[in-house]
Amino acid sequence: MKFDAAWLMDLLTGAPGADEVADRLTASGFLVELREEGDGGEVWDIETTTNRPDTMNHRGLAREAAVATGAKVRPLEFNLEETDESAADFASVEIADPTMCTRFCARVIKGVAPAESPEWMQRRLANAGVRPISAIVDVTNYVLSELGQPLHAYDLAKVGGAKLIARRAEAGERLVTLDGETRKLEAGMPVIADAYEVVGLGGIMGGADSEIGDDTVDVVLEAANFDALTVRRAARKLGMHTEASHRFERGADPDLPPLAIDYAAALIAEFTGGTVCEGRIDVRPRPYEAHQLQTTSEKVSRFMGLDVTMDRMAEIATGLELEPVVDGDTVTVTVPSFRVDLEREADLIEEFVRHIGFEAVPSQLPVLSTPPGRRNPNWELVDRARDAAVAGGLAETMNWSFIDPSADAMLDGTVLCPGPSIGLDNPLASTQAIMRRSLLPGLMTAVRDNLNQGERTIAIFEQGRVFWLADDGPAESERLALALVGSAPVGDGVVEFADLKGVVEGLLDRLGLPEVQWRRGGTPWLTEGQGAVLRTGGDRVIGCVGKVADSITKKWDIKTAVFAAELDLTLAAEEIPLQQFEELPRFPAVTADMTIEHSTSLDYAELTETVRGLAGDQVEAIDLVGRFAGKGLPSGSVRTTIRMTYRAGDRSLTQAEVNEQQEALRQGLSDRLGVSFA
Amino acid sequence: MGLERLEEVRSAFLADLDAAAGVLEAVERVRITYAGRKSGILLELTAALRELPNEAKRDYGRALNELKKLVESSLKEAKSHASSGGASKTADQVDVTLPGRTSPRGAEHPVHLVRRRIEEIFLRMGYDVESGPEIEDDWHNFEALNIPPDHPARDDQDTFYLPGGNVLRTHTSPVQARVMESRKPPIRIVVPGRVYRRDSDLRHSPMFHQIEGLVVDEGITVGNLKATLETFLHALFSDDLEVRLRPSYFPFTEPSAEVDISCIFCDMKGCGVCSGSGWIEILGSGMVDPRVFEAVGIDPERYTGFAFGLGLDRVAMLQYGIPDLRQLFAGDQRLTRQFE
Repeated sequence: MKFDAAWLMDLLTGAPGADEVADRLTASGFLVELREEGDGGEVWDIETTTNRPDTMNHRGLAREAAVATGAKVRPLEFNLEETDESAADFASVEIADPTMCTRFCARVIKGVAPAESPEWMQRRLANAGVRPISAIVDVTNYVLSELGQPLHAYDLAKVGGAKLIARRAEAGERLVTLDGETRKLEAGMPVIADAYEVVGLGGIMGGADSEIGDDTVDVVLEAANFDALTVRRAARKLGMHTEASHRFERGADPDLPPLAIDYAAALIAEFTGGTVCEGRIDVRPRPYEAHQLQTTSEKVSRFMGLDVTMDRMAEIATGLELEPVVDGDTVTVTVPSFRVDLEREADLIEEFVRHIGFEAVPSQLPVLSTPPGRRNPNWELVDRARDAAVAGGLAETMNWSFIDPSADAMLDGTVLCPGPSIGLDNPLASTQAIMRRSLLPGLMTAVRDNLNQGERTIAIFEQGRVFWLADDGPAESERLALALVGSAPVGDGVVEFADLKGVVEGLLDRLGLPEVQWRRGGTPWLTEGQGAVLRTGGDRVIGCVGKVADSITKKWDIKTAVFAAELDLTLAAEEIPLQQFEELPRFPAVTADMTIEHSTSLDYAELTETVRGLAGDQVEAIDLVGRFAGKGLPSGSVRTTIRMTYRAGDRSLTQAEVNEQQEALRQGLSDRLGVSFA
Repeated sequence: MGLERLEEVRSAFLADLDAAAGVLEAVERVRITYAGRKSGILLELTAALRELPNEAKRDYGRALNELKKLVESSLKEAKSHASSGGASKTADQVDVTLPGRTSPRGAEHPVHLVRRRIEEIFLRMGYDVESGPEIEDDWHNFEALNIPPDHPARDDQDTFYLPGGNVLRTHTSPVQARVMESRKPPIRIVVPGRVYRRDSDLRHSPMFHQIEGLVVDEGITVGNLKATLETFLHALFSDDLEVRLRPSYFPFTEPSAEVDISCIFCDMKGCGVCSGSGWIEILGSGMVDPRVFEAVGIDPERYTGFAFGLGLDRVAMLQYGIPDLRQLFAGDQRLTRQFE
């Protein structure tokens, strides 16, 4: 919020220089963000927090500056002359609904002539960010800027029945506001009406029909207090935010209208040659009742970790106009009507902390009373996965948690899909409207963007959450997805399924997930015949791995082969056992190779499972040596060479024993699978 | 000729081998001199055996064998460790300036690098690292944190709404409320995580990351808050950093403080990063508001606490000099691979 520095300094007596005032304001909670040259002096842009509407004006801020610097605030002085004519004879005011308007003051000024406000006022207003318009409007803005009370001036001749009524709108009422917009009002919105129709939006903006113009002769001035929530709801519904609504929404001073309206009337009379009628109309259904707060210097000292004297506390409270009464260690304050933020003892303590200042508090680390810190299991899990992916040569990316509905629709019914999707009520863009149920759509976008940057080889991953609607509400799961494009990570070739599988196997190993089965599947995201679904020992499907289908890459306008995988870490975590030591073998192993010729319809998993079923318990491992297809073999046949590792727990095996077992195995495989041996 | 000669050769051999200094070509020359098949010294010594009287043959033969073994094993050893060298380049020499053969390297996103550094600092101070849901209910994201419906502070946090009254969490603070609901003090936690606000420009992204801290115990003071933040910021950036707490307002802390650090780019002289002020706003903090304690069932008369939060993306941008927040979420592997 913009302040005219000279105006602010002018309200203080006994203050230090402007630099010191700015520094002390910052140190007591009013950050002077920017000081720049304005018209005839500096303009300060100061951050006033939402809980302190009383400081959103020059005099309120000066009060804080005075306490912060030991200065005093100059009292407000003005000269109001009234005529013998009674205001009540020319206008009347009614509060029809005291829940929306708690106080309504009015004054009548007769015989005004069109005029401009004096130059000094125009300059101050301009520096405070307000455009000067005419003497009457400028005065209302000036009093707002000095005291914080929003005011409105009506052309008395245009107020039907010379009566102003504060009430709630009825559904369907309309008003053309000062900005020329036609507003359709909803029931309950705060309005000011005359005897016939709505003439203003209470606490937000006046109406165009009763606006002050060059032909205005008599003026009725309004200074009222409106309910914060009522103003806030109406302003939000109407999409309006004004100087007035900004203050009322945060809570304006209910006892300010009389002073503000007198000050404004005096200035208007001075600038326009008008005369102020006798008497201030003041409708107040319920007066403000000041409440009291109490705290002790012992409590403040303990809370701050600093010895605070009662003298200092009383000094601060006095400066803030809290009327402190000290009784030994206890101070009791009376909360003035402008301090809507002071509700509890904690609010009072804050005042002492603010003005004693954080810089005065000695730094003292808390004494440890807790055991050593530990990371919760979810962070352990995702960081383990992230480390594994990095060790696998992948670069981490972060992609949006919300995706395009058309991309989301492609997930329905796939193995990646955890359940129904959740849409945003108010997305920023239609392409970011659905919470992602899979990381792959976002990763495909990243692949495309990297290709467009000219990257030929891509090896990326993302670790993050997916979201869906479970039976009992929204659900989240941690996932990891990766994509490979271009050169294979190992060797000289282009990336193939085996490269992807190698990376994924590395991940699974580092996660410590045992016995994952690879089964054909993963369509329609993956190419038929080049995709696998991962199933755990506990029969959970935890992911899919393979070459992304053409129909998918086409959707992202990608013309090169993409190999991708996605793993559900939260599901997988259910089956990760604690790493256990196994006794080291005491006797040597004997290895023996076997080359099996078989149909391509027999996959490696089935072959090795059969071998394992037939082999005795001395078989420790079955490893792939190689697979050969082509020359010398009938089409549809391949040769697979496996290496068997035999070991006994109680002695060294002889070659003869192993040969015997190999022979029995060949016989068994031949009977069971109809394979032959090379 | 006799044992003395063997000893002489033995000493000479070891000296020559030593002088070869592990250079392959020099070792080879030593081999030819001593063990060469045509004119090696060992041949000469073997021939000398025949000339000896029978009674001396036994001792000489044994010593000769030992010498042969020594020469053989020493040469083998020296060759295996030898490198090419000298002025003449042969086929055995490699160009040591060629790039190495590597296995592919991966890289973690800078935001996670920063997160883990910060977690480590707090773990060492005895904090637990917690997490919570990104889809939150209104209670935990707002109401429990003293932000009732229609509170003006809701304007400051443009919120994404979801069906069923849920929101995408606008800060990591709801995890504070969740932990306090489920655990008795003393509490000492940090909560990193992804958060969302409906805002997008150079300095705002609808998705970003925060880390939140909370300490609750008997007798926690403003001085404890100040010391903790100073200790943390010194550990994160540098020990000679200045730290400034400015009173501010957050609904869930009272008093609240914005925390600035002296500008790490211009040494407080004023630059573009600090908008000429010499200070960089780095985190928000404060003493836990008693209303928050009441909402989560902790006795505000008995316990006090402090909380703080900062943007991980912002720290990453400051620390690595990344100018545009949105670059972090563009999925560009070239950015991440700078952190291999």
